[in-house]
Amino acid sequence: MKQFRNMALPYIVWSVIMIILPMLLIVMYAFTEKGNDVLTFKVTLNNFIRFFSDPIFLDVLKRSLWVAVITTVMCLLLGYPVAYMIAQTSGRKKVMLVLLITIPMWINMLVRTYAWVGILQDKGLINTILGFFGLGPITLIYTDFAVILGMVYNFIPFMILQIYTSLSKMDKSYLEAASDLGANKLQSFLNITLPLSLPGVLSGITLVFLPAVSSFFIPKMLGGGQYVLIGNVIESQFLTSGNWNFGSAISLIMAVIIMISLYITKKVDKTGQSEGGK
Amino acid sequence: MKKVVAVLLTAMLLLTGCGGGGAASGEDAVEKYGSDTLKVYNWGEYIGENVISNFEKEFGVKVVYEVFDSNEMMYTKLQAGDSYDVLVPSDYMIERLIKEDMLQELDLSLIPNISNLADGVKNLPYDPDNTYSVPYFWGSVGIVYNQNNVDLADLEAEGYSILKDTKYAGKIYMYDSERDSFMVAFKALGYSMNTQNEDEIQAAYEWLLEQRQTMDPAYVADEVIDGMINGNKDMAVVYSGDAATILAENDDMRFFMPNEGTNLWSDAMVIPANAENPKLAHEFINYILSYDASLDNSETVGYASSNQEVLDELSSEGGYFEGNEAYLPRDGYDKDEVFEDNQVLKERLTQLWIKVKAGEQ
Repeated sequence: MKQFRNMALPYIVWSVIMIILPMLLIVMYAFTEKGNDVLTFKVTLNNFIRFFSDPIFLDVLKRSLWVAVITTVMCLLLGYPVAYMIAQTSGRKKVMLVLLITIPMWINMLVRTYAWVGILQDKGLINTILGFFGLGPITLIYTDFAVILGMVYNFIPFMILQIYTSLSKMDKSYLEAASDLGANKLQSFLNITLPLSLPGVLSGITLVFLPAVSSFFIPKMLGGGQYVLIGNVIESQFLTSGNWNFGSAISLIMAVIIMISLYITKKVDKTGQSEGGK
Repeated sequence: MKKVVAVLLTAMLLLTGCGGGGAASGEDAVEKYGSDTLKVYNWGEYIGENVISNFEKEFGVKVVYEVFDSNEMMYTKLQAGDSYDVLVPSDYMIERLIKEDMLQELDLSLIPNISNLADGVKNLPYDPDNTYSVPYFWGSVGIVYNQNNVDLADLEAEGYSILKDTKYAGKIYMYDSERDSFMVAFKALGYSMNTQNEDEIQAAYEWLLEQRQTMDPAYVADEVIDGMINGNKDMAVVYSGDAATILAENDDMRFFMPNEGTNLWSDAMVIPANAENPKLAHEFINYILSYDASLDNSETVGYASSNQEVLDELSSEGGYFEGNEAYLPRDGYDKDEVFEDNQVLKERLTQLWIKVKAGEQ
């Protein structure tokens, strides 16, 4: 047993260097600010005060959460039927469908988002086709629609795959028992399939919400720079103004928000499971 | 007899000299420069197609070439302790690096090609005697417009204020950086772009905010090049070199330099204090200033060369950029300014710029 414990040592060292140390650095930066030549930095809460006292940052935060919520809801509404459909099929067809969902993820997200820029552009693919029929042009790019579209498109595979996995793990004999006892299709879906797929739904929500709330590339490309989310603010603090302290403070605030939402999801997950077990 | 010896000696020198230059190998380079590897950190898409490989061949060395997309990104890496031999930052960043003692003085005797420097990049305010830097590219910022949809008379009458002319609402690209956007606003209002006057900063902020509300501009960076080549919008604030590329690709596009003045910028080669191979770095800087390398660079990238001969040739009759009004920067116009390094102002503008971009729609 002891030998095996020693084998974990490289992993511990690795996680200290790659995970814990950077986290500590963020915390350190967040609670300090640049000082003078004698004392190079001083401990302060100013970075946090600044964030919460400026309405613009709170607006941006609200907008980021709102965009992430809409994205998650859209992914769920579109993703659940698809996952359900895939779980219904079998054999070769099933493998093919799962593959089709996964294939876009083999291509880098940046490239796929650039492709959308070309499609939605004022003189892009859609408007060219519309123009062919004497319609348009309509403004698609640099709108709320474009940003949400880009987000849903990029993150929906996570939702589908999670729900699909939990649906396919489901024991089909429950459904047979339900129909033996006279339940119709809707009843057995609501009482059996839906509760049993809930863990998949919840991990799908987590996997979509987290990247959506902190994404900065999609709003930048498809929102035309007018769409500032919290990720963009963090990026500009590090890369443009060079204010690492403020950037770290915002990152830390985001980390706390994400932890809270994870905690809530966990809670819901537990109650959901106990209900399902009843 | 003496003469014969002298001739022989010269011949030998020439031969060995040629050997060193023509069929150089890594060992020769190590002997001559102390190392055969040069680390260059430059802007993305900012070098001629064959410049690096030709340099490697000619001097028998290996170039490790990395790129950045903002001065701040470069500065961050430099501060993190990364070591490079040659950097190509912009004017205000060089000023900052000099102030912070992060550069080493150049030995101009190792850079004889400095005599090729174009007039427009001599005596630049941040380093008038080329103590630390040798210009690489230079240019200005202006407005690219579609001549079919934008009236030149409007441009001439309104200058930068055309970017707030609602006739063109929804049809413009702004440059997504606080420096360039505030430059436009400051100039439109008739202020200096290096102003520290709080009232003027506030006025410029309001100018940009109002523009956002009335004009619905798209704030983009490098996407502006493709966007204008494809004719997606009618007007854009663009760096002169990118404008030269746009004009070369789309005949409807023209370049306009507002009379209110502009940002006259330059990017220059410097050797950081912690460079591992300064000798070879000098050789590289000298090489970039040579006719061949400068021509390749300028023709490929579209920015104005720091080599006078190349500049003249490309912009004159039969030259690659003949008739391309974006290629040759305006020189000696007193409303044109060079950015100065000012951390406080920069931080202030960054925060205001976020506010402009995040403002309610």
